[in-house]
Amino acid sequence: MTGPGVALACALLLAAGLGAGWLLRTAWRRRDANRPLLMLAGWGVLIAASLAAAPVLGQARGPFIAFAVLPIAVLALIAAGVQIRDPRKRAPREAALEPSERASKTWRGWLRALLAGPIGGVAAMGVALAWTIWAPGPPQTRMVVGGLLVPVLWGGAMAWTLADDKILRATAVLAGVTVVTFTASILKGFS
Amino acid sequence: MSKPIWPRIPSGFVRAVLAGHSALGLAFAALIYLVCFSGTVAVYANELHRWERPDVPVAGPASATVVQAAAAEALAVHGKAEHLFINLPTPDLPRLTIYVDKEKGEDPRVVAGADGHLIGPQGTAWTDFMARLHIDLHLPQTWGIFIVGLTGVTLLSSLISGLFAHPRVFRDAFHLRWGGSKRLQEADLHNRIGVWGLPFHVMISLTGAFLGLTTIIVGILALAVFKGDVNKAYELFLPPQPIDDPRPAPLPDIKTAFSHLPRMGADGPPTYVGLEHPGERGGAILIVAGPEGRLSRGDNYTFDAAGQPLSEQGIGSETVGAQIIQAVSQLHFGWFGGWAVKLAYAILGAGITIVTSSGVAIWLARRRAKGRPAPRWERIWIAAVWSQPIAYPLSALAALLAGAPPLAVWALATLAALATAAAFETERLSRVLPLTGGLLLVILPLAHALVWRGRVADPMAWFVETAILALGLGLLASVLVTSLAARPRLLAVQPAE
Repeated sequence: MTGPGVALACALLLAAGLGAGWLLRTAWRRRDANRPLLMLAGWGVLIAASLAAAPVLGQARGPFIAFAVLPIAVLALIAAGVQIRDPRKRAPREAALEPSERASKTWRGWLRALLAGPIGGVAAMGVALAWTIWAPGPPQTRMVVGGLLVPVLWGGAMAWTLADDKILRATAVLAGVTVVTFTASILKGFS
Repeated sequence: MSKPIWPRIPSGFVRAVLAGHSALGLAFAALIYLVCFSGTVAVYANELHRWERPDVPVAGPASATVVQAAAAEALAVHGKAEHLFINLPTPDLPRLTIYVDKEKGEDPRVVAGADGHLIGPQGTAWTDFMARLHIDLHLPQTWGIFIVGLTGVTLLSSLISGLFAHPRVFRDAFHLRWGGSKRLQEADLHNRIGVWGLPFHVMISLTGAFLGLTTIIVGILALAVFKGDVNKAYELFLPPQPIDDPRPAPLPDIKTAFSHLPRMGADGPPTYVGLEHPGERGGAILIVAGPEGRLSRGDNYTFDAAGQPLSEQGIGSETVGAQIIQAVSQLHFGWFGGWAVKLAYAILGAGITIVTSSGVAIWLARRRAKGRPAPRWERIWIAAVWSQPIAYPLSALAALLAGAPPLAVWALATLAALATAAAFETERLSRVLPLTGGLLLVILPLAHALVWRGRVADPMAWFVETAILALGLGLLASVLVTSLAARPRLLAVQPAE
């Protein structure tokens, strides 16, 4: 499907997204016995629209088009329901939590930066390498999946090490992962 | 009242994750913002290419004879080349363009007409500048691509930590409160776009990080498993190459190569032809072909200089890994579903840019609410955010009217916008900079229409013209509305005489 066909399918996805968004927003506003049903219906429409996009728009690209179009519908619904507040009135007390205040020792700051940056990156590379070498399947697939693991694991390591107050635990885990994965890779070699 | 569906997350955990989320976001905010902003514009690289050079007529699919003629003329005009990279007309970019990769000196880029006759230089300096700004920030290429890839990793990390730092993800799912508390307003904007756009944001940051880190990933894999031979790793994804033979020979036979494509399993028209060492006996032809409307850009087919196939079938769709490689850049730039998908990418791309901007704004508002305002940083961040809607149209305008190098103009405009942080207070900055950006966005299409009057052969130019004008007018209108809304407030705080 190309050109106008894709545009029409996108319009249908947009309509599905608006419908799902309306169901979910109604569930969010109402706190009665129908709430679970409305929520199920809303998520059901979103999932069904994403799945239906595959046969209509293409096995590979259909769901990705749905991922791009559906959020826009829900965001449009949210924008339409914007609540304008009077700036002269006193703002309500906010329930948001504050970030934790940490002890600001220089060595901890540097270690945290090293863990989130190069050490986390090397550990992620180690896992990717071990995956590429040990996982079953064609070498191209193993390499690409390994390559995709790097940003995911590195990003995860970054989020974790920057959040974990027990910095030495994070250091030990990342160092351990690096040693184990690189050793496992060297032991088997590439085939 | 029913029970909340999201499990209760300990507040200590949320606060710790929030601290990490803030630290990472603040450290990389400017870089993430620039990469997201430039990426959003880069979605429309082909349309902007056509707008920048609107006198090139729209061409249909190119035959082998046309491609052969264009390649021959490019070599005749520009002399010996290491490679010729020929992009064939497609619905997105319906013109034939050739990149002449010279051994020494500048590499010419030329455009050919539907008959294969060269029209002249490609003349898209601003589009090329804009695309490279997103790809490698105009830094030395290896470093630049790596830094952009690393930015993708930090964005991905911020998305992960942002989700864990948001215990009210369902409770606030549809809240958008505007006005009143600045922090609440920015937090609502940040969280709603961040959460509802999450599948798209993850897709973009993951593919971007993968594209940016490919060199280092392949380098490490090759170091460990191919004794440092990077080419062996790349060979897994490429069709066989001919043996190097520098003895002179005629131009590779593109016509014969085209004739083999159906037998080799090509199920769509060619979209790209690469000539390796044209004019040498060891020359080769690479053709990318595939049907429109797929995620993949097509399979790769290689031929020797005589146009004879070097492998029995195309490479690119035989394994899941190869299919992913073919799809990653299409998926990242939204070049796989026509204008509707591009529009969705532009809206959500603008969304993630706003998420980045509002993230810093929340931190600044939090400081102010706690009695520790950072007015200098508030001004700098406003200037940084609005520097790009000024620097982009100004660099395009300078390139259009005076042929000025876009990178230099963009850099100067960005610095000038940042310098205004020292000259104006917050309220005025928030008005003056968007106003300047809006005016430039209005002037740019008008100036473009004037410069190219009577010579526009590609109707896409008018669509782009209208879109830029609408953006500019929209920005000006938003400044006007915001100013009018703020007026009673400003009057209310005037001291009584």
